[in-house]
This record gives sequence, C-alpha cells and structure tokens, in this order.
Amino acid sequence: MFFKSSNITARIFDRQICTPAPGTSVHYARKFYENLVPSYTVYEVECPDHSFRKFTDDGQYLISFSRNQQELIVYRPRWLSFSCKDEDCDNHDLPLKAKRFESFFTQLYCVPLASCNELICKDFFLYMESNKFGLFATSTAQVHDAPAVGGAVQGVPSIEKITFHLLRLEDGFVLDEKVFCNDYVNLAHNLGVFLYDDLLTIVSLRYQIIHILQIRDSGNLVHVRAIGEFCREDDELFLNSNAQGMALSDKNKQQQLLGNHIYNNIHQAQPNPGNSFLSGIKQRLLSFMFRGLWNEETDDTLRVQKIRQKFYFHFQDYCDLIIWKVQFLDRHHLLIKFGSVDGGVSRHADTHPAFVAVYNMDTTEIVSFYQNSADELYMLFEQFCDHFYATSRNSMHMNFISSHSNNIHALEQLRSIKDKASSSSQFMKKMLSSLPFSCQSLSPSPYFDQSLFRFDDKLISATDRHKQSTDHPIKFILRRHPYSLRFKIKPGPEAGSMDGRAKKISWFLFHPVLPLALSVQQTLIMQPPLVNISVVNIHFRR
Amino acid sequence: MDSVLGNWPSYDPHNFSQLRTSDPSRSSKMAPATYHSIHNRDVPPADQVINTEHKNILLREIYRRAEEKLTPKRAASDNLIPEHGSKQPRVST
Repeated sequence: MFFKSSNITARIFDRQICTPAPGTSVHYARKFYENLVPSYTVYEVECPDHSFRKFTDDGQYLISFSRNQQELIVYRPRWLSFSCKDEDCDNHDLPLKAKRFESFFTQLYCVPLASCNELICKDFFLYMESNKFGLFATSTAQVHDAPAVGGAVQGVPSIEKITFHLLRLEDGFVLDEKVFCNDYVNLAHNLGVFLYDDLLTIVSLRYQIIHILQIRDSGNLVHVRAIGEFCREDDELFLNSNAQGMALSDKNKQQQLLGNHIYNNIHQAQPNPGNSFLSGIKQRLLSFMFRGLWNEETDDTLRVQKIRQKFYFHFQDYCDLIIWKVQFLDRHHLLIKFGSVDGGVSRHADTHPAFVAVYNMDTTEIVSFYQNSADELYMLFEQFCDHFYATSRNSMHMNFISSHSNNIHALEQLRSIKDKASSSSQFMKKMLSSLPFSCQSLSPSPYFDQSLFRFDDKLISATDRHKQSTDHPIKFILRRHPYSLRFKIKPGPEAGSMDGRAKKISWFLFHPVLPLALSVQQTLIMQPPLVNISVVNIHFRR
Repeated sequence: MDSVLGNWPSYDPHNFSQLRTSDPSRSSKMAPATYHSIHNRDVPPADQVINTEHKNILLREIYRRAEEKLTPKRAASDNLIPEHGSKQPRVST
C-alpha cells in the first residue's frame, strides 16, 4: 500500500499511468471532486423572479417556472468567460459582470404551458435522459368533497383537469399531452408518477387505476395498460360478455314476476356486475393473502381458525384498502403501497397503517405482500436500498448515488439511528414509510457522495426537499485524509439575515457534473405584509 | 547461433549460448505438463448457454423468499411422496 497524494497535479499524473481497479472507474474519477469544489459564493445574485426547480440529471438544462406558474423557462448552464490580463489574478475580485445570473445561465426559451385557469405544478418534473424529454404537469384547482361518482373513491378530492405535457427540452417543443379529467393524481414531488426507462406509471388515486404509459422515441405518450379494475387486457371484455348473459337471465325472471306486488322492488334492484365484483387488483391481493394464510397450516381445523382470525376478521379493512403510491422495480414488476383512504391524501401518512405489495404486471400475480413495519421488508430495504431506487439502465451516473446499501458511512449512520431508536418497530416503520420511492428525487451530484464528504444532512442533502435554514454556513468535510474542511455553502445574505427569528427555509440545486450550485433561501414573514423574500446565491469553483 | 531467440541483439554475444532448441528430448521436457481432468463432473452440458440474469438482485431475493414460504408447507402436506429424486443441485451464486 503506497500513499496516494491528494494533490490534484499528482492525481492527474496518476491517472495517466494507473488503471483503476475493475468496476471502480467512476469512484476513481470522482476523487477529483475532492479537489474541485464550489468554494466561492456570489451572494444575492440579481436573477429573474422565477422558481428554480432543478438541473436535469445530465446537467444540460436548468428548469424553472415563472412566478405566476404559467410558463416554463429553461436555461443552459454555462461557465464564466472573462479573462484577466494581470499576473496575480487569483487575488483580484471578480468583475461585476461576472456576478450576474446571466453569466452562468443562458435562457433558451420560455414556453407557456398552463392556460388561464390552470397552474403548472412547480414541484413536478421528470426527465427522460435518453431522448432529452421533460415531463411537466398542469392542473386546475382542487375540489374537495367531490361526490364519489363513476367508480371514484369517497374521500379523495377531485381536480377538473390534469394535463401532463411531454416536451423536447432542446427547443421547448410540446410533443404530446395526456389529460385526466375529474381525477386526482398526487403531483407534488413526483409522488403519483414514476418514470423507468421509457415506461411511465401514473396513479389515479380517485379511480384507483395505475396507468402504464410508454414514451416513444417519436415523443408520443402511448397508453399500454390500466391496472386496477382489470388486470389483463381482456378482462373487461370477458366480464362485459358475462354481464350481458346475466342481464338476459334476470330479464326472464322479471317477466315471470310481472304480476307480483313486489315488482317495483325488483325493478329498483338492477343487477350491476360492476358493483358486486371487487376490482381486479384487489382480488389478486385478497386471494394471495388467503392462499398464504391457508398454506401456513396443514391441519384443516387450524387452517379455518387462522383464516377466520387473520383474514375474515379484517376482511372489510382489506377491501377498503386503496392504492397510495406505485413505483417500478423493473420493467415487469411494480411495488404498490396500499393504505386507508385517509392516509392517501394526508401529509402525515406515517401514522396510518400501510401495506406494500410486489406485483408482476405480466403474470398479473402478487409476488409478495408485507405490512409496512415487517422485519422482512426492512431487511430487504437495508440490504438492497439502491435497487429500490430503480434507476434507468440508460443513465449510468444515477447508479452511484450514496445510499446505506452501497456506502459504509451511510450504513453506519443508519445503524446509529437504529440503535438510538426507542422502539425498533417504530424505527422500521419510519424507514419503510419512504417506500415506494419518489422518482428522480435525489441529486446525482458527487458532492453528496458520502465516501467523499461528510455534511449535516438536516441542513443539506441529496433529496430535493426544502430544509430548515440557519445563518451558519454548511460545512463539507473530507472523509479521507486529511479530514479537513473542504468548502462551505452558505445560503442567504452574506451578513446573515436581519431578523434572526423569522422562519427561513432553503433548498439547493447542485449541478450533477460541474462544481456549481444554486442555493435559494426563503424568509417567511408572518406579519403583514405577508411577503416571501427569496435570496439566491451561486456557489462555484472560481 | 541457432537459438530460439533468433538473432536478437543482446549485451553479451555469449548469452544464451547454452540454449539448445534443436534437441527434441529437451524440448519435450521443457513443455509443462497439461492437466487433464480424470472425472467428468465438470463437463458442461453441450447446450449450455451462459446469460446474465435479467431479474435484479432485489427481485431475485423477493421471489426466493416467496418460494421459501410455499415449499416447506408443500413438503409437509405431501410428505408421502418423496421429492428428493426430483431435486436438482442449486448452483450457488
């Protein structure tokens, strides 16, 4: 074992002569990020009043939406280009023109997506890297207490019109649209939609249907199947033909009782096969549970007892379960989360009981079914967490996002939380509540690689959620020798905010490849005038 | 010099002068012994094709656990029929 220098020049020479060990070429290349860090901050950049969403995962575009949530504006990230004629350039301050937003980003286009009564959901964005397509969503206002008509679930709100727009990001051309009327899809943070390769799943919470669509290279959104009421493509045909047969036989019975005084009652009770059957996916689930419990015992008496206790006792609860969230595990398997109606729309779903099932779309079979605090599911989560992220085969760098299954430091962190937790089952339930994972919710930036840097994940992390903001800068410390502070990210104004008591939240947009990051800090002023002050900083390697 | 190295340059022309490759008995001694297996357990089947498993490791594990839950119960209920004959040795991954 010889000591490898952490000096960047030495590393470049090493790269010329040494081949990395098999399978570690990405990790080897990533070590350069220890040397190239976004240590310089331009505070309070004058930038257009847009809400910046994220960099695309290949770093080609910066997605933002106008403040009125009607337009999409896409920028191309670029680097500063100015030259300094003096000899001692490093000590010079940056010229003023370099400190502008436009020096770092070029606007490519501005496209109106939402019509007058619609708004773009600014927390929703999915990127298909292979074709550089972007998926956006617009919706009209939510209607609470909508009546449960046409197979809708009672208690789920309704949105008059949800439109998914597929755009070619090179020029902003709208390729295709998919509209859902009087439906409800969880759009915030991509909760109700999952993209895997070219397959898209959209969960209609209101009608309990999992729509599977395919994004073709031509840019068309093609409907592949709808799982929910029917599992196989020909189920509907089969049931409809059966329904016709039943209607005929009932009509004959009615004619016989025509003269009877209970004629009116029969007329009112029209046979409706749609209502008497449970939905296809529910049938699969209940029969899987039944068979599983049946097979656990060999003695017939014990079997019946077990079925009565564990199945029929809770039968109505199982029937009332609704699909909450879905993700792909691969092209043929879905991970579906079931829960009660109340939990489906509430923000704090952790308190509600939930179940997770693995469903094979091709054989239409449920492979396994777990309660969300099950030991077995937690073991799978701990060991194979990165496989739950279901990254597309096309994007290589997305496979290197740190998780506790591929990084020893993240695993140690998880184990320490587990040891400190007061209740093991509560801890497991809390961890498993993140399943199924939301699509593209983690940044692939190497600065979040746990084997390179150590940072406080309450203040900053790879997930694109808002975090509590403090006035202190966030430190990134090297994991390897010499374990020193490498760079700091400070959101908000340089001198700190004037009012220390005001609640501040911040979020960070890290470029996946370049040492470039944006931090946005929002101060929520509670007293009138209710204003949100946003401060945008740019962090880059000078 | 009739050497297996031909007329390649070397510092000292007397180097490799001891080498005699034209001697047939010597060349057979020099060839290393080749190992031939004396059993036929590791002969691969003629139609064997090695492919990458399409299911990822997570799904393999999920399926394995699902099958584990089914098989012990089946063995208990059908214990009159010996199943060992139909079992095949699992390839360890």
